[in-house]
Amino acid sequence: MATGVVDCQDLRKHYRIGSTEVRALDGVSMTVFEKEFVALLGRSGSGKSTLLNLIAGLDHPTSGSLRIDGVDLAAMSAEELSRHRQRNVGIIFQSFNLISSMTALENVALSMTFAGLSKRDREIRAAHLLDSMGLAGRQSHRPTELSGGEQQRVAISRALANNPRVLLADEPTGNLDSRTATEIMEVLKDLNVREGKTVILVSHDANLAAQYAHRTIELMDGHIQRMAGS
Amino acid sequence: MKFTDAIDLSLRNLRQSRLRTSLTTLGVSIGIASLAGMISLGIGLEDQVVGRFKQSGLFGSITVTSQGDLRGALAQLGQRGGLRTPGARGEGAPSGRAPVELDGDAIQRISALQKVREVTPNLRLPVGATIGGFSSPVIATGTPMSSKGEGAFQTFAYGEFFKDESESDCLLTLDMATRIAEKDTGGLIGKMLTLSYAASQRTRSDVVADGFQVHRMEVQCRIAGIVERNPGAIGPGGALALSGVMLTMGLARAIDVDIVNDAQTLLRDPGSAKTYSAITVKVKQSQYTQDVEDDLRRMGFQAFSIDDALRGAKTAFIVLNIINSLIGSIALTVSLLGIVNTMVMSILERTREIGIMKAIGASDNDIRWIFLGEASVIGLMGGLFGIALSWVVGHVINFGANLYIQSQGGTPGTLFSLPLWLIGAAIAFSILVSLGAGSLPASRAARLDPIQALRHN
Repeated sequence: MATGVVDCQDLRKHYRIGSTEVRALDGVSMTVFEKEFVALLGRSGSGKSTLLNLIAGLDHPTSGSLRIDGVDLAAMSAEELSRHRQRNVGIIFQSFNLISSMTALENVALSMTFAGLSKRDREIRAAHLLDSMGLAGRQSHRPTELSGGEQQRVAISRALANNPRVLLADEPTGNLDSRTATEIMEVLKDLNVREGKTVILVSHDANLAAQYAHRTIELMDGHIQRMAGS
Repeated sequence: MKFTDAIDLSLRNLRQSRLRTSLTTLGVSIGIASLAGMISLGIGLEDQVVGRFKQSGLFGSITVTSQGDLRGALAQLGQRGGLRTPGARGEGAPSGRAPVELDGDAIQRISALQKVREVTPNLRLPVGATIGGFSSPVIATGTPMSSKGEGAFQTFAYGEFFKDESESDCLLTLDMATRIAEKDTGGLIGKMLTLSYAASQRTRSDVVADGFQVHRMEVQCRIAGIVERNPGAIGPGGALALSGVMLTMGLARAIDVDIVNDAQTLLRDPGSAKTYSAITVKVKQSQYTQDVEDDLRRMGFQAFSIDDALRGAKTAFIVLNIINSLIGSIALTVSLLGIVNTMVMSILERTREIGIMKAIGASDNDIRWIFLGEASVIGLMGGLFGIALSWVVGHVINFGANLYIQSQGGTPGTLFSLPLWLIGAAIAFSILVSLGAGSLPASRAARLDPIQALRHN
């Protein structure tokens, strides 16, 4: 397999709630390789979402190293982290997190706005992405006018807008029925296989993860409990 | 992110909460209107007062008199009684320092000053005016050609200003003209006015002391025009003292050479230079007035200008404008708190949206610019509406106040004046203070933790 895209060594994230110290991540070391589909499993509070947020650059680790393409995220400034979120990773959320006042097209185009693309280029690319997700006729619909599956596909289009190498999916099927969940997982698998995107999936559904991921990493209380797969 | 995209997002946000945006904008409008209104009231009042002085043509005009005029005269008398040394001036003056006389030489030296446009002696000649059956003593004043179109010479009831300084022409005030011919006042134009005056003729004898004879002289002048207003009596030394007849400088000088208008003239040594009690110095631009006054004082003259009197008034207007601005600022401060409130509410409502934007690549600065964009758009709109509001209210007050002033027999004027610079400044100020008010909430939004923001409902 190719070189490591995401590499973390002895990664820790501790924070305080009142007088109690919470060790959300407590010495996690792992490597995710290019074009790999990895599932992070674990119960609620196991640290899987914290790990995803650190990889996304939404949060700073307490200690340890976290390298994306060899660059240490811990050493990045807020400005550099925002550029990392813009270019290197695309995030897909459980609750879709679309902006309700914007149409599907505008939602997809928004991340390209922050990347500085012209309005025309943004609209062309957003329309193309929505089209590839089978949402050609839904461009001018607002999120409330779309089904859960459609909203998640808009969110995936948005995650792909700036052509990142890594897709980070945080329980992307958690709010969907099983048929739609399968459809969304197929989309992610397709992006992994056909377009070579590295996918890191956070899930609590071990069966679903085993079905699509090359590798599963199970977390418990901030530690890696088990790694399985090729 | 591009600037235009930030503004685009700001406008989208403002459109989403139209009512709140409108109310906040209205608040800013009222604040700006009250501030601009108060300042424009100050400007209007200042224009009313200072503008009238400017119209009088006395701006940039300095009246110069000899320092210690009386002392100088006494010194001359003393010399004459004793040593009889013609030409020697000032010796024995009580102050020790020789008073500088206003003579032809002084006029030349003053004319040579860089910022001086024109120097004219103030010639006030006591003459008798006769025309037809009318005869009256009047003060005739010499009027330079440069007075054309200034002050009282802006409005002629009949006729016009002098064509040439060398002509033997005169102008009358409407008062004087009505006294001469009540019915056909306009018919006086072109008629000849006879001016009579006392002239001295010195006799010289080696045997007895010098003597003099006084005899009556007459000159004719053509009435060229009749001015509506009296040129007025402003300034010491009678810069433009009350006068019924105005003569060309040529004619006035000719009379001045041998007129007897006081004892000093009679006792004057024929060999000594002709002196004037006062002269008027006009500066090239009115802002030079102070400089030229200082120069004149250094040269040993006394100088007075209307600018001196107005300086106090101007200070008073500056204080008035500051007080007005402070009163106007109260309303603006309240409206700025409105902006802060609107922005804080907007950020609270859109916390999750800010989290989403940060998650998909918005930097802290991108978020800051979006919210500062909102504040500046509110500021711009508030500024524009505020100016429009103050314009309307100002016009209504002008109209009402002038109705009252006219009913009281006063001259209507512009109480509220909204010059272009004030419009520009008010709009710029509105944007600036709105940005100031929005900067704190915008920074708060920029610093939001994306994970916390995404969890916000």
